[in-house]
Amino acid sequence: MSSNESATASLADAKSLHKTSVSDEVVIKFDDVTKTYNLYKNDRGRFLGIFNYNRKGSFLGSVDASKNLSFEIKKGEAVAFLGHNGAGKSTALKMVTGVTHPTSGMVEVKGRVSALLELTAGFDMQLTGRENIALRGQIMGLTRAQIKELEPAIIDFAELGLYIDQPMRTYSSGMKARLGFAFAVAIDPEILVVDEALSVGDRAFQRKCIDRIREIMMDENVTVLFVTHASSVAQEFCSRGIVLDKGTKVFDGPIDDATAYYEANY
Amino acid sequence: MFSTLATILKDNWEWRKQIGRLAVFELMKKSRGAVLSWAWFLIKPGMYIFCFWFALDVGLRVGSPDAAGSGPYILWLCAGIIPWFFMQDMLGAGIDVMHRYPYLVNKIKFPLSGISTIFTTATMIVQLMLMVVLFIIYFACGIPFDIYLLQVPLLLILMFVFWDIVSILFSQLSAISKDVANLMQALSTPLFWLSGVIFNVKAVSIPWIQDLLFFNPITFFVTAFRDAFYGKVWFWENPMMCIGFAVVFVITLIAAVFVYKKFNEEVADVL
Ligand SMILES: Nc1ncnc2c1ncn2[C@@H]1O[C@H](COP(=O)(O)OP(=O)(O)OP(=O)(O)O)[C@@H](O)[C@H]1O
Ligand SMILES: [Mg+2]
Repeated sequence: MSSNESATASLADAKSLHKTSVSDEVVIKFDDVTKTYNLYKNDRGRFLGIFNYNRKGSFLGSVDASKNLSFEIKKGEAVAFLGHNGAGKSTALKMVTGVTHPTSGMVEVKGRVSALLELTAGFDMQLTGRENIALRGQIMGLTRAQIKELEPAIIDFAELGLYIDQPMRTYSSGMKARLGFAFAVAIDPEILVVDEALSVGDRAFQRKCIDRIREIMMDENVTVLFVTHASSVAQEFCSRGIVLDKGTKVFDGPIDDATAYYEANY
Repeated sequence: MFSTLATILKDNWEWRKQIGRLAVFELMKKSRGAVLSWAWFLIKPGMYIFCFWFALDVGLRVGSPDAAGSGPYILWLCAGIIPWFFMQDMLGAGIDVMHRYPYLVNKIKFPLSGISTIFTTATMIVQLMLMVVLFIIYFACGIPFDIYLLQVPLLLILMFVFWDIVSILFSQLSAISKDVANLMQALSTPLFWLSGVIFNVKAVSIPWIQDLLFFNPITFFVTAFRDAFYGKVWFWENPMMCIGFAVVFVITLIAAVFVYKKFNEEVADVL
C-alpha cells in the first residue's frame, strides 16, 4: 500500500518536473503531411504502374495513411499517439524516423532519433544479440569504444542471459523487443520513438521499461513519441496526446483529455 | 538529375564508416558457422578453376589461346576467371540487395545507395583476397612484376564503381518487382558464355561480332585483366573495347540515377 503511494507520488513528481521542463524549441514539425499508399493487385501491376501504365484491374485504389497532418512537438515533450488499428500511427512515426517519406508536405526533425519500430526493431536475425548491438551501434555512428562501453548496460537491461550470444532468430518476440528497447534507450537519444514495443514484454519488463522511459523524460532535452493501445500507460507518463483517425488528426491536447476523447469515441 | 547523383555520392561519403563496417559484418555472416570459415572464400573459386582447367585444357585441349602470351593455359584462365567471380556475385546477390537487408530499408534510416555499396565492398574484399592469390600464382610461375600490372588497381576501382552502379540500378527495381531479379539472374549465364571468360574474344574472327562482344562489360573487365596479367598490353590499346565499355558505363549511370531519383522514396513502402 505504502509503496503504491510513493509510486504515485514519484509519478506526480515526474510529471510536474517534466511539464515545467518543456522548452520552446520545436524539434519535430509536420506541415500538411499526406502519405498515400497505392495498392495494386500484384507486383507486376505495381511495376507497370510506375511507368504510368495502369492496366484496368491491377490498380486497386489508394489509401491515405496520413492526411493533412500538421503538428509541432517541442523539445522535451512526451507525446502519445492514439488511434485504432490502421489509423496511421506507425506511418506518422516512420516519417519522423525518416524511413518513409511523405507524398506531400514537409516533415522536419532536429536531433538524433532512436527508434523502436514494431517489435523486431531492425535486427539481423542471423547475427547474435551481441553482434546486433555492435551492428546497430555502428549504424548509429558510434565508435568501437563507445559500443564496448554501452554493451554491458544493454545486456544487463535486456536480461537475455545465455541468449545474448545466440542468433536472434532463436529469440522469442519478447526477447527481441527487450533487446530492441534496451538498445534504443541506452544510446542517449535526443528523440525516442517507441511503437508498441512494450506490448509483448511481460509485466515486469513493461514496468522496467516505463521506469526507464520516465527516467529519460526527466532529462529535459529528450523528446519521446509513443504509441500504445493501453490508455493507462499513455497517461502514466505522456503529457500530451494526439488522436488519429484514418490518417487525420482529430484531437490534440493534454493526455487526460486525449484518452478521454479516444475512449469516448472509439 | 545531377542533384540526385550528388546525393548518392554525398550519402556514400558521409556513411562510409558504417558502410565499411557493415561490409565486414556481411563477410562474417557468410563465413560463420563453417569450420573452415574464411577458407571457403578461396575454396569455391579454386574448385571452379580446377574444373574449367580440367574440362578445357585437359579434356577439350583448347590449349593456350593467346599467341602473344607466355605461360600455360591455366594462367590465362585464372587472370580472367577471378574477376568473373566478383561479377558473378554482383549479378547474383548484388542486384537484389534490398531484400538482403530489409532492416536497413524500413526500420533504420540508411541511404539506399549505401546498401549497394556495402555489398559491393564485401564482394570486393573477397576479390582482393583472390587477387593476392593470383599474384602469388603468377609470381610462383616465374612471371615478373612489370609496369603493366599497374593497370590492376585501376581496373579494380573501375570494376567496383561500375558494379556498384549496376547494383544501385537493379536493386531498386528488384525491390519493386521480383521479375527484375529473376531476369538478371537468368541473364547471368548467357552473359558469362558470351563474355570471353573461357575463350579469347580477340581471337573471334568476325570483326563485327568481336566489336559487339565488347559492349558486354564482363568482356571488358575480363579482357583488360588478362591484358594486364598475361598479354602484357595496356587495355586502352584496344579502342573498340574501351568505347564499348564507356558507352555501357554512361548508359548504366544515367539509368541508375534516373531510377534512384524516381524510386528511392518508394522502396521502403513496398518491401
Ligand atoms: N507499406 C504499406 N503499403 C500499403 N499500405 C500501407 C503500408 N503501410 C501502412 N499501410 C496502410 O496505412 C494505414 C495506416 O497504417 P499504420 O501502420 O500507420 O497503422 P497504425 O495506426 O500503426 O495501426 P496499428 O495500431 O495496427 O499499429 C493502414 O490502412 C495500412 O494498411
Ligand atoms: Mg502500428
